[in-house]
Amino acid sequence: MTLNLNPLIVLLIFPGGLFLIMAGLAYEYLDRKLVARFQNRIGPRWFQPLADLLKLLSKEEITPLGVQRGLFYLLPLFALASALTAALYVPMAGLLPAYAFQGDLIVTIYLLSVLTLSMGLAGACTVDRFALVGATRTLTQLFSYEAPFMLALLGPAIAAQTWQIRSINEYASQNLWLLIAQPIGFLVALVGLMGKLELPPFDAPEAETEIVAGALTEYSGRGLALFRLSKDIELVIGLTLVAAFYLGGIHSPLDFLVKTVGLLLVVALLQTLFARLRIDQVVGLWWRIGTILAVIQLIAIVLGRYVGNLIF
Amino acid sequence: MSDKDKGVGFLDKIRTWARVNSPWALHYNSGSCNGCDIEILATLTPRYDVERFGIKLQGSPRHADVLICTGPVTMQSRDRLRRIYEQMPEPKFVVVVGSCGISGGVFQGCYNVLGGIEKVIPVDMYIPGCPPKPEAIIFGIVQLLEALKTGRKPEAVAVIPEPQFENKA
Repeated sequence: MTLNLNPLIVLLIFPGGLFLIMAGLAYEYLDRKLVARFQNRIGPRWFQPLADLLKLLSKEEITPLGVQRGLFYLLPLFALASALTAALYVPMAGLLPAYAFQGDLIVTIYLLSVLTLSMGLAGACTVDRFALVGATRTLTQLFSYEAPFMLALLGPAIAAQTWQIRSINEYASQNLWLLIAQPIGFLVALVGLMGKLELPPFDAPEAETEIVAGALTEYSGRGLALFRLSKDIELVIGLTLVAAFYLGGIHSPLDFLVKTVGLLLVVALLQTLFARLRIDQVVGLWWRIGTILAVIQLIAIVLGRYVGNLIF
Repeated sequence: MSDKDKGVGFLDKIRTWARVNSPWALHYNSGSCNGCDIEILATLTPRYDVERFGIKLQGSPRHADVLICTGPVTMQSRDRLRRIYEQMPEPKFVVVVGSCGISGGVFQGCYNVLGGIEKVIPVDMYIPGCPPKPEAIIFGIVQLLEALKTGRKPEAVAVIPEPQFENKA
């Protein structure tokens, strides 16, 4: 499906801006509700994320002593802006991406990392010890999951022989689901997404039982609201990306809904199943197992293509 | 009422709605015997599931709206209690759980005890009991939220248990 929209509408209402914010809140609600049901609880009401967001926006914003003021106020905006921009290159809601060019996969991956980077910097620019420890852990985790996550997204790109998300989406829909063709890549991508969003069991950077609230400890009001919102948006974009690559592409709004919600169900189940890993265990898991698995997958794809070319 | 006032009234309504529906709590023990703290932890378990009301326990005072205090204030924890209260962003509310936080309870008159929480920070809501049951804590917080909705101070609610046994003398 294609839609010709005014660039301003694309940026502010659909698929950027307003639609993305609403989708982010809806997916956060779904995630929390699913986790609650898995834990045998009733869970939050449907408007809970919206109420949280509005409450945080209307609260006082404290500037702690010793922070770099400009950076402290700019970083949440930076994180939200990059998350919103990344949505322009993915097939949001089953429509074709608003913009596409050769190599937009790399740009999207970088835009998705900016949130984590902003959170690390936000923790590091305060003088609070918990925020500093949280920032260290956030950045350590960034360096550990980023490589396998990227390798896992490269698999479909190499199979489709293009760096364009739109073409990979088309390739995925015309062929066998890549979940079956590249199961290891799917696993690494899904777990990498959970590491990116700092969901349990990879929530060591914001472990509230040890380091208060991690890098965002000193944030109150607007800053915290914007960081939470950008994380929600990243959840939607990440799910869309993995579904488009590994679950046979996304073509219609119904397709989008079924595939991303199905993926969210798995993510929520994994969240409830596992306990939090220590930061050294996270790094070990990613570099010793995740990366090697992703590299094996990559070699298999390259060899498969080579052999395929020899035969046909 | 002019149009401008109407607009402000509408925004205020949204703000109050959000505030009532998303109270994030912070728990501080300023010298309690841990009885009330165990009851607060029990309140947060799946059996009572306070996420139904949007209540979430937060680690950082900067993220919290409601400060749940237990125990009498000891000399040593006085400054910490005040600092935590000052670190919370406005608007903030204080709920006291248990008899000791209300009046000092059994610790009243000890050489190292100041008395109830209200000697150090302003309190919005008291939940009596030694310790109060999880149901009582949830009831108290819902009362605070109801009071927020109407903009009044919470009023004292008497909960008298029904007599369970008849006295056959």
